Amino acid sequence: MSTGQRTDEPGLGTLATVRLVAAREVRERLRAKSFYILSGLLVLVILGIGIGSRFVGDDGPGTIHAATVGPEADRMADAISATAEALDREAEVRSYDGSAEARSALEAGDVDVVLDPGDLVVLFADEIDDQVLAIFQQAWASVSIESGLTDAGLAPDQIESVLSPPRLEGESLDGDGGDTGLAVLTGTLAAILLFVSLQTFGGYVLSGVVEEKSTAVVELLLARVRADQLLAGKVIGIGVAAMLQFTVAVAASLVSLALSGVEVPSAIWSAIPMTLVWFLTGYAFYSMLFAMAGSLVSRQEDAQAASAPILTALIGAYVLVFTVGYIPDSTASSILSMIPPVAPLLMPMRMAAGAAAIWEVAVALVLLVASIWGVWKLTGRIYAQVLLRRGSRITWRGAFAAAAGRG
Amino acid sequence: MLQVDGLTKRYGELLALDDVSLTVRRGEIVGFLGPNGAGKTTTMRAIMQLVAMDRGTVTWDGRPVDLATRRRFGYMPAERGMYARMRVRDHLVYYGRLSGRSASTAAASTDRWLERLGLTGRADDEIQTLSSGNQQRVQFALAMLDEPDLLVLDEPFAGLDPIAVDTLSDLLREEVARGTALLLSSHQLDLVAEVCSGVVIVDDGRVVLRGEVSELRSASTSRVVAVEFATVTPWDTAHGRVESDDGRRYRVHVAVDTDPEVVIAEARARGDVIGYGFSPPDLSEIFLAAVGRDHMEPAVVGGEVR
Repeated sequence: MSTGQRTDEPGLGTLATVRLVAAREVRERLRAKSFYILSGLLVLVILGIGIGSRFVGDDGPGTIHAATVGPEADRMADAISATAEALDREAEVRSYDGSAEARSALEAGDVDVVLDPGDLVVLFADEIDDQVLAIFQQAWASVSIESGLTDAGLAPDQIESVLSPPRLEGESLDGDGGDTGLAVLTGTLAAILLFVSLQTFGGYVLSGVVEEKSTAVVELLLARVRADQLLAGKVIGIGVAAMLQFTVAVAASLVSLALSGVEVPSAIWSAIPMTLVWFLTGYAFYSMLFAMAGSLVSRQEDAQAASAPILTALIGAYVLVFTVGYIPDSTASSILSMIPPVAPLLMPMRMAAGAAAIWEVAVALVLLVASIWGVWKLTGRIYAQVLLRRGSRITWRGAFAAAAGRG
Repeated sequence: MLQVDGLTKRYGELLALDDVSLTVRRGEIVGFLGPNGAGKTTTMRAIMQLVAMDRGTVTWDGRPVDLATRRRFGYMPAERGMYARMRVRDHLVYYGRLSGRSASTAAASTDRWLERLGLTGRADDEIQTLSSGNQQRVQFALAMLDEPDLLVLDEPFAGLDPIAVDTLSDLLREEVARGTALLLSSHQLDLVAEVCSGVVIVDDGRVVLRGEVSELRSASTSRVVAVEFATVTPWDTAHGRVESDDGRRYRVHVAVDTDPEVVIAEARARGDVIGYGFSPPDLSEIFLAAVGRDHMEPAVVGGEVR
């Protein structure tokens, strides 16, 4: 902490003042039991989801426990393992000398399926698994072809080249390929996360401001700091505490993912940094509006009503994600995603879909940052006018009139 | 020196302050008196730059008060307010730091004040766990922390028991002896008469009386004849307005040129007088006369006549 002011002269600048206010906010929040209880619950829920989905996930494709019979048993086993691997499945294959031994292993439950080339039968312990059947078919075909080619006098490396043609790649007419579903999923997840966080953390700011006004401590504070300094410190401090909680949640999510055994598409990882940028800017924008709403009321009971317009705007932006957000290439989508109150929710969606041009993202960010500055200054002015006016709720119109009235 | 000059503030139809001026010098205690709603709190907020004025100036040592100046002003708002869940020590240190002090200076003056107010043992307790008297002490410490140039205290003794009032007024006197200027508002007029050298009385947003307490008393156009009977004795006199709570002790407000002997003789004719006195009105009587729209004319006395 270098305040640059080691002397005891009252030369506290805006930056140092904001830092003092923010530091108190963080310290007091970290001192409250509720912070740990809430974080703990969050971690438990997230881990619970991971553990839960592991048990659900066990019903999916697992290891194939197979048995092969006959003179070609070992080669068949190798071919099955190789084919299964190409299809992202694991196979554990045992070879038996005779059909009878293999069948008794199947009945004993040592294996789930037996391939008996002599009978041209694939025998399953219970349900017939079509994918396993296809794997065996493919494996059996390649072993048979290999035998045929060997009989025809081809050298092993020639056989190899015949049996392993170049791998085919999948492509789509849809340009970027079949990842649209994943992009929509990523964008939707980001929007849900942003919406919930903005609402929650904005709510913290709202009740924090009302606390200061309802306890009248604000009068003492305004004797020492400017209203906009107090506002910035509060928003930043709560933001830092919120980010700590957010980080704990993300860490828990990673553990949860590992526990669940689900593979994470790489697109999710690349979406995280940009989501963070939109979260920070969106938080700054909305939390200051929530603070403005909080400054109008003197009791916690009135806070919800005063913040209704802000919440409506946030919900409106959220709804847009699920309407125009699903047609990310449209002009409406493009224009809306650059408007400050909408950008933090809609732009991540369009970016995930690959529909947002760099300039659009830049314009959206510049507009958003500019409005954050504007909202900060406006709220600071309203703050200074209304924080000492306790009693009945002040109307938005009255607040703007007061702010316009004087500097 | 604090100089408040011509403060005027209108809230819609209501003229809250009308050309209010006052002065507080270093080492001086000025009592700011007036009925509820007279404009005391608005004036004090204006001194702390918490409300914008329509007209008028507030200067300290001749310069307009800005953020840096008012960080050297200790303030106790009429509506007490602290973070209920903050610990006493943390709260004081935080406020000291907001006043521009280094962490170590703020901590040192916090500890000094906790000690002086007998709160050292409660330093790590949350404010909300303190009794209201102790919360009031913390509020005091917030204002007095770190040797302020000026103390602006709005009703500092409201809700305190007599012992606390005594301790705190002693502390205030010490601060003032050190060179602090002190402006305090109060409804406890005996106390104001005791601790304040000067008073400013406002009513309906206007200053109606100002001056040194002793000068105001002697310059008053009325005198009080006090009479005590041995038993309850009905008495009414044409010499002046009669006041009595118990029918035994009387205070008669007479014109300054009235001969008290005549009044006392009249009382003796009524019953057994066991004590009497003749004195200028006390501060509360001057106050009532000044704001009560009584028959007495408000007077302007002392050095700060405008």
